[in-house]
Amino acid sequence: MTKRHTRMFFVGGTLLFAAIFLGMTIDSHRQFATLTNADQITPAVSAGKDVWHKGNCINCHTLLGEGAYYAPDLTKITDQRGEPYLTAFLKDPSQFYSEKQHRRLMPNPKLSEEEIAQVIAFLGWVAKIDNQGWPPRPILVSGGTFPGTGEAEGSAAGVAASDSPVALGQELFRSTPPGCASCHSLVAGVNLAGPSLAGLASEAARIIASPEYQGNATTPEEFIRESIVEPSVYLVPGAMYSAAGRSFMPDNYREILEPVQVENLVAYLMTLR
Amino acid sequence: MRYRSQWVAYPYFVVALLLYGLQMVFGLLSAAKYLGPDPLINLMAFDVTKEIHTNLLIVWVLTGFMGATYYVVPEESRTEIYSVKLAYWQLGIWTVNGVVAVVGYLFGWTEGNKLLEQPVPVKLTIVVCMLMFLYNIFMTIRKSGRWTTTEGVLVSGLALAALLYLPALLQFHNYTVSIFYRWWTVHLWVEGVWEMVQAGLLAYLLIRLSGADREMMEKWLYVIVGLVFIAGIIGTAHHYYWVGVPQYWLPIGGFFSALEPLALFGMAMYAYFAMRRSGFAHPNKLAIHWTVGSAVYTAFGAGLLGLAHTWPAVNKWTHGTLITPMHGHSAFFGAYVMIVLAVITYAMPHFAGREDSSRESPMGYWAFWLQLSGMFGMTLAFATAGIAQVYMERIMGVGYLDTQLKLQVHFLMLIGAAIIFTAGVALFIWDFFRAVPIRTAFLDNTSGDASVPVSSVA
Ligand code: HEC
Ligand code: HEC
Ligand code: HEM
Ligand code: HEM
Ligand SMILES: [Fe+2]
Repeated sequence: MTKRHTRMFFVGGTLLFAAIFLGMTIDSHRQFATLTNADQITPAVSAGKDVWHKGNCINCHTLLGEGAYYAPDLTKITDQRGEPYLTAFLKDPSQFYSEKQHRRLMPNPKLSEEEIAQVIAFLGWVAKIDNQGWPPRPILVSGGTFPGTGEAEGSAAGVAASDSPVALGQELFRSTPPGCASCHSLVAGVNLAGPSLAGLASEAARIIASPEYQGNATTPEEFIRESIVEPSVYLVPGAMYSAAGRSFMPDNYREILEPVQVENLVAYLMTLR
Repeated sequence: MRYRSQWVAYPYFVVALLLYGLQMVFGLLSAAKYLGPDPLINLMAFDVTKEIHTNLLIVWVLTGFMGATYYVVPEESRTEIYSVKLAYWQLGIWTVNGVVAVVGYLFGWTEGNKLLEQPVPVKLTIVVCMLMFLYNIFMTIRKSGRWTTTEGVLVSGLALAALLYLPALLQFHNYTVSIFYRWWTVHLWVEGVWEMVQAGLLAYLLIRLSGADREMMEKWLYVIVGLVFIAGIIGTAHHYYWVGVPQYWLPIGGFFSALEPLALFGMAMYAYFAMRRSGFAHPNKLAIHWTVGSAVYTAFGAGLLGLAHTWPAVNKWTHGTLITPMHGHSAFFGAYVMIVLAVITYAMPHFAGREDSSRESPMGYWAFWLQLSGMFGMTLAFATAGIAQVYMERIMGVGYLDTQLKLQVHFLMLIGAAIIFTAGVALFIWDFFRAVPIRTAFLDNTSGDASVPVSSVA
């Protein structure tokens, strides 16, 4: 083997594998439109991409797992948080998180209302990209429990048959979407983007009996059902939960969940006493 | 140093090392923010310190590459640089451009695209500087009419690096497509054409330091860069798994990127065998440390720690966690920081008109070992933090913020190791500036081998 042979190995190998790579690139271009739902790249999504770059979000966050490691991954954030919540958060993150508690905080990105709507539209489009199902399980912004530390997720579902409404409701509660667990913890006093649901059934009975309650529910079940499909009827007090009479909980569960799924959730949440 | 114009490398090294020092400041600031709380949050938040940290890295390493090339090419082609004046102008524009970019980042002037944050005018100026550089080098080689394989690999690496920067200028409507092409610059740089630069400089240094047979060294040089490209081009796919590309990129990318370490282990063996011939006979032993260290640390940081998370079934869990900067730091340090510091250490006695053995100061060795152990500690700190993060956040489903709170001890370890590392950097810079360069540097004929076989350009 001489230098001439090894040079041929270098030039030949490089050209061959570059050609294969280019071939796969061309084929990928034929598939990008379907994989990324290119028809849904509206002007708002496009403008939102510019907001994303202008705000330098990538140098704190990851998106599709790429970026910096100082802040949570946002690939599926719109599956976990509705638009009302994200809008309020992006207007002023310090309303929702404190540096005291988590030792870091997102600085106010100083976006206009329009830019906020655009960047949310962009993140909504990203969440729907067909990316081989990554992440393999939802990445939450905050919350979650460490088994064995006494902060166990209280529920009776552990003993229920796996196809009972309670068990199905618990499973759904933990899935994303609808992402209930990414906003609600079941540990008393641990409030995430939404209030803790510990002791919800008793709490519901207390609320409907109180004079502040203006809704139509007369039983705890009805109250929980109403809280899910019409979250703004009764608002848990707190500036981080609602603004101008509108709850930050997504208000489209009536459309995206089947009625039976709502009933399963209610059955499950009724076990939290 | 045999050619007067090789001296132009010196100011390049000055700029490179000053920016290296500055990069450490912004690294430490970023790490302090991991620990939090952040008193500077409204002045310069994490995104700003981190982008300055990584941009300074890229700029100073490229400055080092260009300085090294100005040093190597005259010796290899046996001629003076085509235009020294052009080289100075290029350095001036390049440096001003870099400073403008950094100040711009402080004021939020950024494209917000990871590692390619440079605003368009800055990008265009970079392209102009690269063209000035390449023109100068090509004219030098043309003037002399001779070139060696070593410099051929080195200069082609830089020319291709300039070419691969061009996709960074394109704008795409579709975020997935823009990610796709971002990697043509970023991955094909660090795992492709920059490897040519590293391998070329390594060959040059090994020939000089060990007196190894040039024909032999250059023959294997082609094998190494051949392996780099055969695995590395399609290996780009290890960045494509989860961004919205067709499924076939996963198995193909897994396979080829798992082959990438082959070239890097080959490089370590290349250095080992070259040095085994001659032992530590060359008087500049410190330069031998940096040269062999670069080859070995690349095999560890890029090869082994790259392999650790490149397979799709693993990357699925580690993607975008602190595992990534574990590998990013050790790979960049071994492959590109150490090779530039090796060339500087090798060349420095020649600028100062001293004996080759004049590098043998205790300070020089402290600079070497403190950086090496500091970087090893940082790698471990990122690794342990990353493993804990993958387990808690990705597998058990604990929230991101709560997981980070549990990683505080690893961040303390990161900062501790980073302080050791920074001490090594400070000593290196101090040692560099302690040696006063002599403008009319002596021209000796002893440090070069007179029997350089050269190919002629037709
Ligand atoms: C300086 C770092 C930094 C930058 C820049 C940054 N973020 Fe954040 N972001 C954070 C941190 C930290 C959190 C976690 C919550 C908190 O502590 O405020 C967060 C949380 C979020 C969340 C999730 C909130 C929740 O409760 O679900 C969204 C959405 C978000 N950021 C969007 C953005 C967008 C869009 C941009 C760019 C315009 C951006 N961020 C820029 C640091 C940053
Ligand atoms: C974006 C975060 C978010 C998500 C996702 C979310 N919620 Fe909520 N939820 C809230 C907020 C904020 C409140 C308090 C404001 C209000 O009363 O509507 C709330 C209130 C509630 C309440 C009333 C609690 C009380 O004490 O009165 C119930 C019950 C509830 N959510 C159930 C659910 C269920 C079930 C799901 C999943 C299908 C869900 N939530 C998803 C944010 C969220
Ligand atoms: C004082 C020493 C250093 C400290 C404290 C430090 C710290 C950091 C921090 C905190 C980040 C941000 C990671 C994130 O995105 O969340 C980072 C990124 C980075 N640093 Fe350093 N760093 C140091 C030295 C270096 C050196 C010497 C190199 C080059 C060899 C380097 C190369 C990088 C690279 C390539 C990234 C981007 C990594 C990625 O995105 O995966 N750093 N550094
Ligand atoms: C000198 C060579 C190398 C350098 C300088 C280097 C540097 C880096 C950097 C900076 C990143 C982060 C990039 C980003 O997210 O923007 C990265 C990611 C990555 N590298 Fe390397 N690398 C090298 C070689 C390798 C090799 C040989 C392999 C495989 C065997 C490898 C595997 C990976 C993988 C899988 C990722 C993606 C991590 C993730 O999913 O988050 N690297 N590398
Ligand atoms: Fe790569």
